[in-house]
Amino acid sequence: MGERSERTTRVSRASTELNQQLRDAREQSAASREILAALGRADADPEAILDTILERAAHLCRAQAATLYIPEGDVFRLSRDTGKIPEEFRKLLLDQPLARNRSSTVGRAAEEMRTIQIPDVFKDAEYLRLDLQSLAGFRTLLSTPMMLQNEVVGVLSMWRTNVKPFNARECELLEEFAVQGAIVMRQDALRRALKSKLKQLEALREVGDAVGSTLDLDEVLDQIVSNAVRLTGTDGGSIMEYDESSDSFHVRAAAGSSPDLLKRLRAITIDRETTLVGRAATDHQTVEVPDLAAKTELDPHLDALFRDGWRSVLAVPILRGERILGALVIRRRSTGSFGPHVELLETFAGQSALAIVNARLFGELQTKTSELEIASQHKSEFLASMSHELRTPLNAVIGFSEVLLDRMFGEINERQEDYLRDIWNSGKHLLELVNDILDLSKVEAGQMVLEPSTFSVSSALDYCRAMLRERATSHAITIGVEVADGIDTIESDELLFKRVVLNLLSNAVKFTPDKGTVTVRAYGEGTDLLVTVTDTGIGVPAEDQERIFESFQQGRRGAPKEEGTGLGLTLSRRIVWLFGGRMWLESTPGKGSTFGFSVPGMLRPAPEPHVSRHLPVVLLVDDDRASLDLNSAYLDGSPIRVTRAMDGVEALELARKELPAAVVLEIGLPRLDGWQVLTELKADPATATIPVVIATDVDDRARGLALGAKVYLRKPIRREELVDALQQVGVL
Amino acid sequence: MTPARILVVEDNLLNLKLVRDVLTFASYDVIEAQSGEEALRAAKETPPDLVLMDLQLPGIDGTETLHRLRESTLGSDVPVVAVTALAMAEDKERAARAGFDGYIEKPISARALPGQIEAFLNGRAT
Repeated sequence: MGERSERTTRVSRASTELNQQLRDAREQSAASREILAALGRADADPEAILDTILERAAHLCRAQAATLYIPEGDVFRLSRDTGKIPEEFRKLLLDQPLARNRSSTVGRAAEEMRTIQIPDVFKDAEYLRLDLQSLAGFRTLLSTPMMLQNEVVGVLSMWRTNVKPFNARECELLEEFAVQGAIVMRQDALRRALKSKLKQLEALREVGDAVGSTLDLDEVLDQIVSNAVRLTGTDGGSIMEYDESSDSFHVRAAAGSSPDLLKRLRAITIDRETTLVGRAATDHQTVEVPDLAAKTELDPHLDALFRDGWRSVLAVPILRGERILGALVIRRRSTGSFGPHVELLETFAGQSALAIVNARLFGELQTKTSELEIASQHKSEFLASMSHELRTPLNAVIGFSEVLLDRMFGEINERQEDYLRDIWNSGKHLLELVNDILDLSKVEAGQMVLEPSTFSVSSALDYCRAMLRERATSHAITIGVEVADGIDTIESDELLFKRVVLNLLSNAVKFTPDKGTVTVRAYGEGTDLLVTVTDTGIGVPAEDQERIFESFQQGRRGAPKEEGTGLGLTLSRRIVWLFGGRMWLESTPGKGSTFGFSVPGMLRPAPEPHVSRHLPVVLLVDDDRASLDLNSAYLDGSPIRVTRAMDGVEALELARKELPAAVVLEIGLPRLDGWQVLTELKADPATATIPVVIATDVDDRARGLALGAKVYLRKPIRREELVDALQQVGVL
Repeated sequence: MTPARILVVEDNLLNLKLVRDVLTFASYDVIEAQSGEEALRAAKETPPDLVLMDLQLPGIDGTETLHRLRESTLGSDVPVVAVTALAMAEDKERAARAGFDGYIEKPISARALPGQIEAFLNGRAT
């Protein structure tokens, strides 16, 4: 009986043990599944999962407590625990965290990167944390490292308050939990890193936008410093600008700083030699003071901060190459290193450098521009008055020689007449020069204004030929004028157009040998009118072909038959630029030269005149060329013809002339605004039925529709909007 | 028939002399003035049939002189012609707006001047 009962007891104990193991195994696998499932969820709360791990580990391994330690530098700090731990124990650990050495199982597990057990802390000579033992009462300790890529990211630890070593299975169990815990921590770290990177990127983008979009330096720097403070989770900061003349730094922007502190910072001198900021800038190196209280001697800047309650400071130099521009200062009210934020702050310092350089360049540019404007104005005034002063005596020179040449006061002999002609010619030449100088200075000062009118190209060319006929005939030079078919009238400044042609023509006659030919041609290229003047003169060597357009450069074209002013080509080219065109020269030495210029946009694009004539016309009215171009591009390919006007008067003229199928109208227009144009269109029976689509910045739909507009679009306008609107009014 | 009397207002002595000689040669009666003030006095003493006036004068300028002439002695039907070196279209317009009846550009052509004067005098007649 005794024996049997003993066996029964043994069997039953064995079966109980088996059952227990089976249950543990089930529970363990359930716990693992649960943890893995939680890990997989998008909204997984890493802290909750770690708590679950600790709880399950303690339960399954029958430990009184489970703890998680996280490395911080050379020590391990308690991160989480299963909760049944005395408060004093936590406090002690906070003051004296576990060292990475043999003094604790945690230290050993981290150092040796393997699971460490101390069956009884009283019997382990190397175990030194009996201070902790006295508070928590543990005897058996088990710790296992949480590893990620050969690095200890934490240590899981358990204890029993009685001496009962954890068995192999329990050790394995803890190791398995450690693996899962490590995964949780890695995921969390990744997520955090991603989040903070996103935040940094967002802030950097904001700052980048600001640097790029506003030239208000204070605004940009304010944004930089407040973003720097926000992203690093610090309490305040400032951007100091370096002033070379006084060799010191001044607060330019600040965040998290009281007006009082700013006042004090502005009152002190932060020099380059003795201050933290100065040293950072001079050494081109980021410098930090993790604890202001620990420093024996504080420079005036740090002293002011310390008195204001700041405890740690970091200074990042703001540099442009070798040049010191300033420093970014970040501070905290608590002590500690800024280590992980340095890289980000250096990026912000770089942005600050860019902003400061931009602002300075802009400032210089503004000064230079206004200086240049003043200089140019002085020059124009000088030339205008000089021109007057020169004309007055020239008037007498030309006039008196004329009086004598006309024999008003008696006969003159041949030689006297010859000399008088020389005086008269020289006077005229000087006068021409004075006129050209005055005109050139007007063009250069932007004071030459085009006075457009509609005139016939061939009449203008004939006029120029007539002006030079006498001179050409006296040298037996033939002037031919060829105007291509379809070139009719253009709208430009007729006087200036003729002036350019006359200049080219008179040059051509001047440099063409007797009995030569000069040909003027006008033809279209796209919508540009091109005019060329070809001579059979000596030509211009390639190396002189650009120089010849500069003032007083006649180029090596042989001796001219008579003197020119040396300004004609320069002036002509400037006038052509005023037209928006270009001037060029093609020349083969020995054969002759062709000078040409273009007047752009003057001709109707007419590749298929028959088709385009029947296409409905849409009149686009906008004073902004870019808007006109955009709307034209939107309608490119639509079966319509586009015509454009840039002010209200022109719009009305075109509308009356072309009777377009629709008008796309901006409200803000010069001369007559869009409201007036709309009113006039609707008041005139000839144009009253033309549908008007308003396309504008102005927000007054009710007024537009009340005045008779069919559609009211607000800028910016998308292609579909415009096409829809034109469909709506029946044009497309 | 008595010759038409022309008041020439011009501060530059050489140009004044030129215009005087050309107009005298063309059988006009010429009165000279070297400033706006002188012109006002001269016009009061001997009312002219036509005034030829430089726009840029020392003291009161051509435009101001014109206004004072019109207000005081000169009737509205006496033509006043501007003479100036500022030969730009806008100057021409400015002269017209200021109330001048015509515009002669410097340099004055000794050959053309008598004809131009005659045209202005005839313009008054029609």
